[in-house]
Amino acid sequence: MLIELAIRNLARNRVRSVLAIIGIIIGVMAISSIGIFSESLKAVVLENFKDVANEVVITPAYTHGWMSIDKRTVEKIKSIPYATVVIPIKSESEIVEYEDKKTFITIYGIEEKDVRELFKLKKGYYRDCIAGGSISEFFKLKVGDKITIRDKEFRIGGILIKEARFDINPNFAVILPIKDFDKLFDKEYSIVIVKLESMDRIEDFKKSVDKTINRREKRVSVFEIRTIIEAIEKAFRNITLFLMAIAGVSLLVAGVSILNIMLMSTIERTREIGLMRAIGAYKNTILRLFLIEALVLGIVGSIIGGLLGFLGGYAIDMLILKTAKYVFQPASIVYVFIGLFFGILTALISALYPAWKASKLEPIDALRYE
Amino acid sequence: MIELVNVTKKYRVGIHEILALDNINLKIEDEEFVAVMGPSGSGKSTLLYLIGCLDRPTNGKVLIDGLDTSTLSDKELTELRRNKIGFIFQQYYLIPTLTALENVELPMVFKNTSKTKMKKKAEELLALVGLEDKKDRKPNELSGGEQQRVAIARALANDPSILLCDEPTGNLDTKSGEVVMNIIKELNMNKGVTVVLVTHNQSLSKYANRVIKLRDGRIVYAD
Repeated sequence: MLIELAIRNLARNRVRSVLAIIGIIIGVMAISSIGIFSESLKAVVLENFKDVANEVVITPAYTHGWMSIDKRTVEKIKSIPYATVVIPIKSESEIVEYEDKKTFITIYGIEEKDVRELFKLKKGYYRDCIAGGSISEFFKLKVGDKITIRDKEFRIGGILIKEARFDINPNFAVILPIKDFDKLFDKEYSIVIVKLESMDRIEDFKKSVDKTINRREKRVSVFEIRTIIEAIEKAFRNITLFLMAIAGVSLLVAGVSILNIMLMSTIERTREIGLMRAIGAYKNTILRLFLIEALVLGIVGSIIGGLLGFLGGYAIDMLILKTAKYVFQPASIVYVFIGLFFGILTALISALYPAWKASKLEPIDALRYE
Repeated sequence: MIELVNVTKKYRVGIHEILALDNINLKIEDEEFVAVMGPSGSGKSTLLYLIGCLDRPTNGKVLIDGLDTSTLSDKELTELRRNKIGFIFQQYYLIPTLTALENVELPMVFKNTSKTKMKKKAEELLALVGLEDKKDRKPNELSGGEQQRVAIARALANDPSILLCDEPTGNLDTKSGEVVMNIIKELNMNKGVTVVLVTHNQSLSKYANRVIKLRDGRIVYAD
């Protein structure tokens, strides 16, 4: 009956109640749709990293005077149990010529099977000299063309797609099989890419490296791709938080409007409150009545806002990301519930003071109120 | 039984202190019908609200069935009002959003009465005041006299032993007023409800067994 009474009290001043509900709707909608979009955006960005999350990159400890990684060290890395794939890479910068053009770029020396592991081809095969996407465009290379490095000719066996990587940059580079690389340059390895059986093994792996390779002096540094992912996630968290704060402001405004209408309502209904106290309503009952009224506003507004927010998130995703597949992931959907929660909470908090004020009215003063 | 012992009530209005009741001693026996009369400002409404536990005296004691109300907490006073006292006000004070039936049910809602029991009782009470066919109307669809009869039915919802009436006919025409007064009188005669009626309308004194006159917060006449 209290709920019934609360609903009828709200219906008594329909326009006012609807306006209050609209405030909540906007706030909840903002929170849910912004939340869904920023989670989707994060998912889109992080999807590019899902293959490299378990990757670590080992570089010489430059700060300790090491410029390269020798073969023995590579063997030691291979013997660490958590490493499933170990790709040692040599590199050097040199002038590359093709027809009348020449340019100074990076030459990588990588075993053929490892090239397969690391890169995707746009054209040709994993064979002979592989050219990066950008350099191929620069030289207008085709499979079968021949480039010149240090007066030696190399046949282009494959052309890579352009991609952004964190370990090495193959776009403006050519990749030679190690044996060809060694014919040109006398160098040790400059970087080793290691894939671990899982991301959870990264700490164990680092410990093993310190024990076996860096025991006497620091020879190599271990860099986790995971750190980048974590940095991106952190950045997104901050952006989301910032957007949430903006959405929160609209909820705050809604809260103030509920506070306002509830205060007006307590004043208008002062004598009613007095009457209810006179015929046997506890202070608590009056408090509950007003809180229920706010709760009804909050629940109705939040549910509508949550639904609209979901649709809004879906629409923004379709518009900007051109896909809706991330709308339904739990991390996105949770924002609908966060919106619901804060919508209802806002209504409840805003009603606390008016409800408390109403419940504190002395029956005699309330009845005599003009 | 209602008993007032050396009851004084002072109000502060701004910087002025108003003495509403000045050392009142009064006993009202069970099943009595007492009319408290006096000009406005004589303290008669204050007296009624003190008896009704809506207010506390500045000095002195109000005893209801021997229970000193000054020792009770707000919660206990609320329960006392709910279980023992029915109020009828000049302005009826019906809840505008509720139907006649629901208004009568309200005191039972506060007492957590079961739904079916509540409805049955409310219908009986509306029949008692002759409004069984208007139970689904909202207060604004009822005449003044009808609204006051709903208020009477509401006052009786929890079977009070005391009925406190503050100018119950003040807003009614003579005929409706008579209907209302007859109902109150019958409750007193047939059900043994103690009635305290506050009014400045001399013609209502005929319903009472006893008339008390107040002036400036003091009892000036009691028969």
